[in-house]
This record gives sequence, structure tokens and C-alpha cells, in this order.
Amino acid sequence: MKKQNVRTLSLILCMFSYLLVGAAVFDALESETESSRRRILELKRTEMKKKYRLSEDDYRQIEQVVLQAEPHHAGRQWKFAGSFYFAITVITTIGYGHAAPGTDAGKVFCMFYAVLGIPLTLVMFQSLGERMNTFVRYLLWRAKQCLGLRRTEVSMENMVSVGFLSCIGTLCVGAAAFSHYEGWTFFHAYYYCFITLTTIGFGDFVALQKKEDLQEKTPYVAFSFMYILVGLTVIGAFLNLVVLRFLTMNTEDERRDAQERASIKRERGLLTMGKHSHPLTFTRCCGVTA
Amino acid sequence: MKRQNVRTLSLIICTFTYLLVGAAVFDALESKKEKTQKKKVYDRKQELMNTYNLSQFNFDELERVVLQLKPHKAGVQWKFAGSFYFAITVITTIGYGHAAPSTDGGKVFCMLYALLGIPLTLVMFQSLGERINTLVRYLLHRLKKCLGMRRTEVSMVNMVAIGFISCMSTLCIGALSFSFFEGWSFFHAYYYCFITLTTIGFGDYVALQKDHALQTNPKYVAFCFIYILTGLTVIGAFLNLVVLRFMTMNSEDEKRDAEQRALLSRNGQAGGGVGGAGRGLRNVYAEVLHFQSMCSCLWYKSREKLQYSIPMIIPRDLSTSDTYMEQGEAFSSDPLHPLHSNGCICSMHHPHSAISSVSTGLHSLTPYRLRHSKRRSSI
Repeated sequence: MKKQNVRTLSLILCMFSYLLVGAAVFDALESETESSRRRILELKRTEMKKKYRLSEDDYRQIEQVVLQAEPHHAGRQWKFAGSFYFAITVITTIGYGHAAPGTDAGKVFCMFYAVLGIPLTLVMFQSLGERMNTFVRYLLWRAKQCLGLRRTEVSMENMVSVGFLSCIGTLCVGAAAFSHYEGWTFFHAYYYCFITLTTIGFGDFVALQKKEDLQEKTPYVAFSFMYILVGLTVIGAFLNLVVLRFLTMNTEDERRDAQERASIKRERGLLTMGKHSHPLTFTRCCGVTA
Repeated sequence: MKRQNVRTLSLIICTFTYLLVGAAVFDALESKKEKTQKKKVYDRKQELMNTYNLSQFNFDELERVVLQLKPHKAGVQWKFAGSFYFAITVITTIGYGHAAPSTDGGKVFCMLYALLGIPLTLVMFQSLGERINTLVRYLLHRLKKCLGMRRTEVSMVNMVAIGFISCMSTLCIGALSFSFFEGWSFFHAYYYCFITLTTIGFGDYVALQKDHALQTNPKYVAFCFIYILTGLTVIGAFLNLVVLRFMTMNSEDEKRDAEQRALLSRNGQAGGGVGGAGRGLRNVYAEVLHFQSMCSCLWYKSREKLQYSIPMIIPRDLSTSDTYMEQGEAFSSDPLHPLHSNGCICSMHHPHSAISSVSTGLHSLTPYRLRHSKRRSSI
């Protein structure tokens, strides 16, 4: 079978296996906690209903109000700062969901905004990431020269190590900052940074959601935005270095196949021509110098 | 300034402007509703507190319980089906957040899982997307032949049109299904499919959260998973067709620059180039061009191709290469020599003229000329 097809089928199988394994592990890690927590909370709920003399219907009404009030706890989400934050989560595809358009017009605009914004952002991050990689390659080369090393070429291993260290460094800087400002543990802040910079964006931890931070703490707001965009650039640079070549593999194999087919056709054409023309043409075609 | 730097700076400015414009529009669209909704909710809260005789403290207590129960409302999230759903949202980076690991062990595993899973998934979708594009291109080519059309090549416009229509249909099919199964309006279901397949994944609408569907309705669960993965493939194929080339532009320009520099230094070493050495070099150049003239796609699209052939490039910015290009453009307007699907012109029909035109230009190959090279016109 063609190389591209083998590659594609293997990747599909890999991914399905990966999903199955992941599902099994998450089940094992979280299921138990989930069911025990649920039992405890449901007991507490029954207790409260008794305490405040609420029927099921009453409770549902209160529940509805509480759930509706939840997003408002974090302050105004749609003033300019909040909207900017939201726009970032859309075009970077992070999509926390801490704020989501409530109006239908907002939803429509959101979709159009994403259609243009996401490719723009993808190309921008890859572009900037490539520039950063080139710059780092240059700096490393100069460093090697300065240190008087004999072999001053920057190898792929060098670049990957530097890239990996930058990613870890970025995550740690973010973890330290957010654990301080948001009052999370270092681990939870690290988890937040990771989930954000991989653009997964669960929304279980979201920065700038403590009461009115978006409106009041402008330097912290600016820091958060810059951190997300710079962090995504660092991750993007690492992806540009390591992953991008694999994204174009099938296309390049296909191109190479097309060229081989074209060159075979051409060789055949020349061979038929060569039978009737000067012998030198024939030998030159085969790479033999007369 | 170097082209790559100009491109990168322009993109950065574009993105920031885009963010500012977006923020302003979202503010205008949503701010007012948010304000009125907040007031309404708080009024209702007061009303309920009065009705049921609850103090703020009591209400806060109830609120805590309600919010903690919220993820459990939608059913069991971490049994196998739910975990599989979660695993999908992690490696595709959709990340609804309807379920998120609560244990620290779960969080750690989630991070490690994503680290390997996300690149695997990216590569898989692009790989499959490229295969689909190739198949579609082939089918369209056969269709054109069957319909007896003169020009049976599949153009980029054809491919983009088909890709776009596929994306729209995928969204519509999903919208229909989810509006039926989840009880959402068609528009909200469409919005859900869009937000899911672009991997934004807000989590304001999440499938499989009603009536314990994850545990009780395996057929619907399977449909959802298949829909998400297939939809992402369709979108991935479209991105592979349209966006991927832009993501490699800087790298390709950089490679071309490096080759030019290498050529410059090699030229310098060749020195005066008179006599045997120069002629030898010229012959090799001619061979390279002979090979490369087979398909000028090499010049326009993928530089990496030449890693597999002779790693010596002559910048196409030679004055004579412009002649070659002009010939090429003449080809494109000539109906007897139609363009290939990716817009390149195969010069198989006129190899000799190409060589002769370039080899005459070799005499004028100087570093000075190279510095004033004309680059390929692209974005």
C-alpha cells in the first residue's frame, strides 16, 4: 500500500487506542471520587431541604436562580476588558466558557469572528514561532562561537532542548504568578497554565474572575493577556520546530510521487526520442558523460 | 527588512487589531443584556429569599451545594463512556469543561495525556484530511472526464468550493441531529456544532448531558463521538487545503535564503570561474535545471523536495528566470497547456528552451545580481 495510506491508517489506529487507554485511566482515577462526592452532596442537599423546609419544586427554583447567578459572581464579563478576554479565548480556541455570548446576535458574530480569526491566529503564531526559532538558533550559534566550541552548528537536539526548557519555564512563570494573584496552589496554577496554553481551556480554573478584577486591576489584566499570548507563541514555536513537519508529510509524499511519475514519463519519452537521435543525448540523459 | 519579518510583524498587528475590534463588538452586543440579566437574577434571588425565609448565610449555604452538585446534575461523568468523552475533549483540545478532573492524580494524568495526545491528534487529522483531499481531487477529476469536459484538471477553486460545502453540510447535519436529540433550537445546535468543531468548546452547550444519555443511550453516545471525530476531520481537511501552506511560509523562505547564501559562498569559492572549474560548475547547474525544469512546481511550492535531489539551487531571480516565468505565464493563458491543480506549470513540453534560456544567464551569475533577486510573489 502507498506510504501515505499506511501512515494515515496507523495514525487512526493509534489515536483510537490512545482514546481507549485514556478513557480507562480517567475512569480509574476519577470514577470513585465522583460517586462518593455525589453521595455526600446529595445527602447534604436532602439535609438542607429538610432544614429550610423546601419541597423539591422549591429547591428547583432556588437551583435555577443559583445557576443563573453564577457567571455574574465573577463581575462584569462583557465590558471592554472582559470582551477582549473573551475575544482572545475565541481566536486562540482556548474557549474557557466562563463567559459565552448570551444574545443570538452575539453567537452569530462569534461564529463569523472565529471563522476569520482562528486561521489568522494559527498563521500568526506559527510565523512568530518560526522567527523566534531562527533567532534562538542564531543566538545559540553565537554562544557556541563565543565559548570557542569547535562545532558551532546548532543541532536539532539543541533546538528541541531549548524549546522544551522554554515551555517548562513559561509554565512555571505563569504558575508562580497566578498562584500569587488568584490564590491557587502552585500545582493548580500550573495546571491552569498548561490547560490554557494547550488551548484546551476547560474553564475549571479561569484567571481574572475574582470579584471585579477585570475592571479594577488593570496591570494584572494586561499581564494575563500578555502571558496567554506570549505563552501561546512559545508553545507555537516548539510545535513549529517539532510537529509542523509531520503535518505536511503526506502532502510532500504525494508531491514526490507525482514528480516520480512525471520523471518516469519523461524518461520514457526521452528514451523513445533517443533511439532516433544523437547518442550523446541518450548518455547525457542517463547521467553518463561522453 | 527581510520578507519573513515583515510578514510576521504584519500578522501580529493584524491579530491585535482583530482582537480590539472583536472586543468592541462583543461589548456592544452583550454588555447591555448582561446588565439586565444580572439585575433580574438578583431580584429573583431576593424574592426567593423572602418567600422561603432564608438569610444571606442560608442562601450562600444552599448556593454552595447547588454549585457543587452542578457537574453531577448531568449524570455520571467518569464511567467509561464519560471518560472517553472527556479524553476526546482533551486530545482534540475542545475542552468543554463539563467534566474536569477533580483529583490531583487526574489532573497530572490529564496533562501528560494531553502532551502526547495533542500532537498525535493534530498529525492524524492532517494526515487523514490530506488523504480525503486527494480522494476528492481524484473523484472530481474522474467526474470531469465522465462529463466529457475538455479541461479535466481539478483547480484550487474547485477544491475550496467542495471543502467549504462539506464543512457547511457537516455543521447542518450536526445541527439537525443535536436539535432533535438535545431539544435545542436549530440555531443553538448549529452554534454548538460550530464551537465544537473549531475546538473552541465553551461548554455552554454540551451534548450527552441530558437524561443520563452517557449511560442509557449507547447509540446516541456512539453517534456523538463519531460526529465529533468525523467533523474534525472534515474541518481538518479544509484547513489542510487552505491554511497549512501559510503556516510553513516563513520556514520555506528561510530555507530559500539559506540556500542562496550557500550558493553565494560557493560562487565566491569558485572564484573567477574561467576554464574547466567554471565550466564544470555550469554543467552541473545545467543538469540541475534540466531536472528541475521537469516541473516548475518545485520552484513555487515545496523546497523540501530538493533535499531528495541535488541540493543545489539556483535562485529563480536570475534575469533569465524572469524570461522563463514569462514563458510560464504565456503557458497558463494558453488553453492547450492548462495549469495544474496547484497552479504550477509543467514545462515538460518545453524543456530545452528553459535550459538554453537559463544557461545563457549563467554567464551573468554574480553576487551583485543575486542581491537584487526578485522573490516569488506570495503573501
